[in-house]
Amino acid sequence: MSTLNRRDFLKLLTGGLLTLSGMLGLGAILRFLSYTPETVRRSQFDLGPADRYPLGSRTLIASIPALLIHDETGFRALSLVCTHLGCTVETAEGGFACPCHGSRFDPSGQVTRGPAGAPLAWLRVEVNEAGNVIIYPEE
Amino acid sequence: MRPNFFHHLHPPTIPAEQARWRHTLGAGGTAVFLVLVLLVTGILEMFYYVPNPQEAALSVQRITYHVPYGWLIRNLHYWAAQLLLIFASLHLLRVVFTAAYGPPRRFNYLLGMGLFVLAFLLDFTGYILRWDVEVCWPLVTGTNLLKTIPLIGDFLFRLAVGGENACESALLRFYTWHIFALTLPVVILGVWHAFRVRRDGGIAVPPPALRPNPERISRFELVRREVQAMLIVGAALVVLSVLFPAPIAPAMIGQPVLTEEARAPWFFLWVQQLLKWGDPFVFGVLIPFAILLALILIPYIFPPPAPQDVGRWFPPSNRLAQVVITLIAVFILVLTLVNR
Repeated sequence: MSTLNRRDFLKLLTGGLLTLSGMLGLGAILRFLSYTPETVRRSQFDLGPADRYPLGSRTLIASIPALLIHDETGFRALSLVCTHLGCTVETAEGGFACPCHGSRFDPSGQVTRGPAGAPLAWLRVEVNEAGNVIIYPEE
Repeated sequence: MRPNFFHHLHPPTIPAEQARWRHTLGAGGTAVFLVLVLLVTGILEMFYYVPNPQEAALSVQRITYHVPYGWLIRNLHYWAAQLLLIFASLHLLRVVFTAAYGPPRRFNYLLGMGLFVLAFLLDFTGYILRWDVEVCWPLVTGTNLLKTIPLIGDFLFRLAVGGENACESALLRFYTWHIFALTLPVVILGVWHAFRVRRDGGIAVPPPALRPNPERISRFELVRREVQAMLIVGAALVVLSVLFPAPIAPAMIGQPVLTEEARAPWFFLWVQQLLKWGDPFVFGVLIPFAILLALILIPYIFPPPAPQDVGRWFPPSNRLAQVVITLIAVFILVLTLVNR
């Protein structure tokens, strides 16, 4: 078994401690940089009185972004966030088209052409007691 | 006189081969000059640019349309940045095609690759600083790509964006990365890279015994050629800046506008084209990184070029490396041209 003399031991110790404190410092910097402010991430959007959206209307709600549809079945809302990389899709012939990488969706949100792999999301919509339309984009 | 860094880079005489345009393309030296232009014009822009989502695009407009010579400063900064990517790429191609990356230059090749990556990151962050309606989707897709990386993706996204929504909160982060956290490494690595060129024996040429031309040129001749190159490139920058203004678009305030087609900046058009083919992680992260890794590993996976081949164009002993980098270059060029 090789013996570790005092000089080598101290060298090893110094190196080890320097590495350790360097790693700790780096970890602290990464933690520092990873802070995200507590955003008021809105879990619901109040779109005002339901009678603003008559039967048969399709309204673009840019702040979500979503398309609010009022038909015989009631209110429905389709998310316009492309499931590929998050651009906002445009209404186009035969449904929706993404401006970034050309994904296409049919009017029900199903993918008709890639690269998107998942359909557009349907969002929960409610009309509350006050008669206002509320969209819940998180669920 | 005590030798200084300038003398280190310009020894009393150097082999004439090392300073031939047709040998070096002047690409590395031109890149250094472009970085100097970028530093000066960038500092000048900082006097007026406001890194605040409400005011950023307006301050760019102020620089462009109101500040005396602001348009010139901004256009010079823009064109120097675009040319830097082109000359850095030419420099990389030259180094591989003249077998200049073998030992003892392997470490300096790594430094160069580091600078190459930093140049692209700086160009992208600078492009985002315009903060107008054209940059939102490239910013969203670029930062959402980070999220697709397993395990560390969310962390990287927070590091880059500092919030939930890139088009609302990324500006200050990108500003700090652009102005300081990427620029400082470029300066440090750049000085180190230039230092190592000389330390490794200057620009790669065949060893003295195998050199067809024993001629040497003096320090003064070298400096004369450098100044000549700077004048030519400087004049080209001014002409480009006067004839072709840097892109500008209406301010991005609040919601991103709807567009029929969103285009990536020209140097990432090839990645945008890749992304049209499917899964973002595979096409937007894995493939570009595989390409980068292949470039970085060229000096390590291919056999070192034969001594008589070092510093010769298209020598036989590193054919494989030449083929690999040509394929990569053609692949990227074709994708860029296809994406329209």
